[in-house]
Amino acid sequence: MWAFIVRRILYNIPVYLSIILLLMAGLRYARDPVRSQLSKNPTQAERDAVKQKMGLDQPFVVQYVKFLGKTLTLDFSEESWSQKGRSVGDVIKKAIPPSLSITVPTLMASASISIVIALISAYFRGRTVDRTLVVLAVLGMSISFLVYIIFGQFFGAFWPNQVTQTTPFAITGYEPWMPLLTEGASLRNWVEFCMLPVIIGVVVAIGYDTRFYRAVMVEETTKDYIVTAMAKGASKPKIIFVHMLKNAMIPIITRIMATLPFLITGSILLEMYFKIPGMGFELITAINADDFPVIQAFVAVFAGLFILSIILTDVLYALVDPRVRLS
Amino acid sequence: MIGRIMRSRGMKKFTRNRLAVVASFVIGIYMLIALAVAFGAISLEECRERVLPGRAYGFLQEPNQEERFNELNWYISQHLESTLGSPSGFASDPDSASRRERAALAERGIPEDLSDSQVQEIWAALSASFAELDDAWLDREDLRYEIADINLMISESEDADEQADLADELEDLAAEGETYDREVNALVEQVEAGLLELMPIPTGFAGLKYGFRTFLGSDESGRSVAMRAFYSIKIAFQVGLVAALMSVSIGTILGGLAGFFGSWVDHAVMWLVSVLSSVPYLVLLAVLVYVVRGNALFSEWFDNPQERPGLALVPVYAAFGLTFWIGTCRVVRGEVMKIKELEYVQAATAIGFGRIRILLKHVIPNTTHIMFINFSLIFIGAIKSEVILSFLGLGVQGQPSWGVMISLGREDVQNFFFWTVLSATALMFGLVLAFNIVSDALQDAFDPKHV
Repeated sequence: MWAFIVRRILYNIPVYLSIILLLMAGLRYARDPVRSQLSKNPTQAERDAVKQKMGLDQPFVVQYVKFLGKTLTLDFSEESWSQKGRSVGDVIKKAIPPSLSITVPTLMASASISIVIALISAYFRGRTVDRTLVVLAVLGMSISFLVYIIFGQFFGAFWPNQVTQTTPFAITGYEPWMPLLTEGASLRNWVEFCMLPVIIGVVVAIGYDTRFYRAVMVEETTKDYIVTAMAKGASKPKIIFVHMLKNAMIPIITRIMATLPFLITGSILLEMYFKIPGMGFELITAINADDFPVIQAFVAVFAGLFILSIILTDVLYALVDPRVRLS
Repeated sequence: MIGRIMRSRGMKKFTRNRLAVVASFVIGIYMLIALAVAFGAISLEECRERVLPGRAYGFLQEPNQEERFNELNWYISQHLESTLGSPSGFASDPDSASRRERAALAERGIPEDLSDSQVQEIWAALSASFAELDDAWLDREDLRYEIADINLMISESEDADEQADLADELEDLAAEGETYDREVNALVEQVEAGLLELMPIPTGFAGLKYGFRTFLGSDESGRSVAMRAFYSIKIAFQVGLVAALMSVSIGTILGGLAGFFGSWVDHAVMWLVSVLSSVPYLVLLAVLVYVVRGNALFSEWFDNPQERPGLALVPVYAAFGLTFWIGTCRVVRGEVMKIKELEYVQAATAIGFGRIRILLKHVIPNTTHIMFINFSLIFIGAIKSEVILSFLGLGVQGQPSWGVMISLGREDVQNFFFWTVLSATALMFGLVLAFNIVSDALQDAFDPKHV
């Protein structure tokens, strides 16, 4: 087992180094990094001065090693270009709690709801209930995420506000809610600012997840052990909820782990729309404002988190299915 | 190759699936519309010009009286006043012809058989009756406030006599209000008739075109929603086809080479795949668009999207092409590794065929079904990602697309106006659903073991 973990980590180190390499080269050579910091027609001297100030005049290798060292020691003390006076590390640190307060509930709720729906669908396989659920999932997948958000916000926040003059959910914005982190924060803030985005995220995710889980369950029903159980005379609920669910757990765990990093960014749209200052929001704001240090650091952090979760998935997978370790 | 796949057993299975055939037919209709738009059925100017007052309803939804009043207000005191000028001087104006031209809203203009003096006459009458309507409207508003005040006073007062007095007054006011209502109703009809006389709704072929322009209403700045939504079909096909063709060909070539030759080729390709797939795909798309758009060599291409909307799409193509090939590459590599161990490939090797020839003639053709499936999956992915990128300000610029319409339309929705978002969504829903059904059916027909 340990050999497997070490192998996975060793395999991913060069991958991460290459990502940083491509990222830095792309940001430096495929585009002009200092264009936004200069006047319309800059002289060479001005250009050099700005480059020197930002440390972009050093040889690429030096910059690469320096940035890599800083990333690995989580030292993001550089100043952001568009948000003067804030360090990149500060931007990242402030952006993590809002992101997590949306993604973690979304992930848990969507996974558990869609597994239940998939089980129902597999139980009634081929009958009206199953067919309706499948059709609903396909229909739901054909609508853009943005449309769900627009109408979710309209019916969740605008319409109740206009009709009943009450505000169950805020239209946009975010207030800290974790009681231990900030003074005077309460769970009520979470309901007001995060609940609606979470509901929308869950509704969208259910469509995709249900289809996948149902396919997993349906494939599982063709296996020999199900036939054996049926021949032994086990009842249908017992076969589905005891025998099948246990065996279907492997792909389910993989799927949940695989969606974990997507949720960090999958909420980019929710964060932008509801103006929640999370990781995705900060990244897109930085891209639109040409904020070079923030973009570089954010992509590096995103990629790092992504790779960590990929390794974690592999390890978990190997834990539940020993055959994987050999390959 | 195409002919062989058409005659294959999978294709027979596919055509037996009636739903999938209907879906292919729907895609065909969309494709015809896209071709028609590409050959000039809807020009970009027609998507940008003003045809209606802002946020006018489409068919099925009748505006209430207040909305009718607001529309008339826009037609007369904003549009006609600024284009025709004051009613008294129109006939003596030397450039009345150009004023007529500017007053025209697409096909709906002042008819040519009306002489300048006739136009002046109608326009003066229209302007006068609208002024009357405006006064009556304001009076009625005042009366309504007064009634609301008295109602409030009744509820607050405790003296029974005073309440009775107020109730009497209320009855008088209500009677007065009814006469106002009748007056306003009559005036609204009159102004609408006058407007129709000055600018009749066109008939015949022009009428058909005008009807098409207006049947889905207008967006916030009065542009035709129908024109924009149908023009977007072309953009969707442009983005989807370019993304799918690029990704499928890159993915098949690299996946085929990696799977067939193994050793260092395989390592190099898989290295690239794992690097690119270790960045979340939306972040990758956003950063790629950012990098390509700010490119030092041709950044001036993308500086003015209003004038060069076609070029502004290049960063989006590049981002899609560089991102979506990964999935195809993985699947093709796996399939090629399986195929190259089969007997017919060994037979070809034994006969002495070259390796390149075996790869091109015997291996790659057997991955065609994967190409088809991935083509339609990537097509859907590209259309949906376009909406997200456009919302983030990184997608289509300078021309309408479903993404642009939906993200601009969010303010309409907040003002209880749904035509823009729903039209774009409905058209997009049809296309994406059809592709979803087709790719499901393709998967069932050619790759039944796939989860």
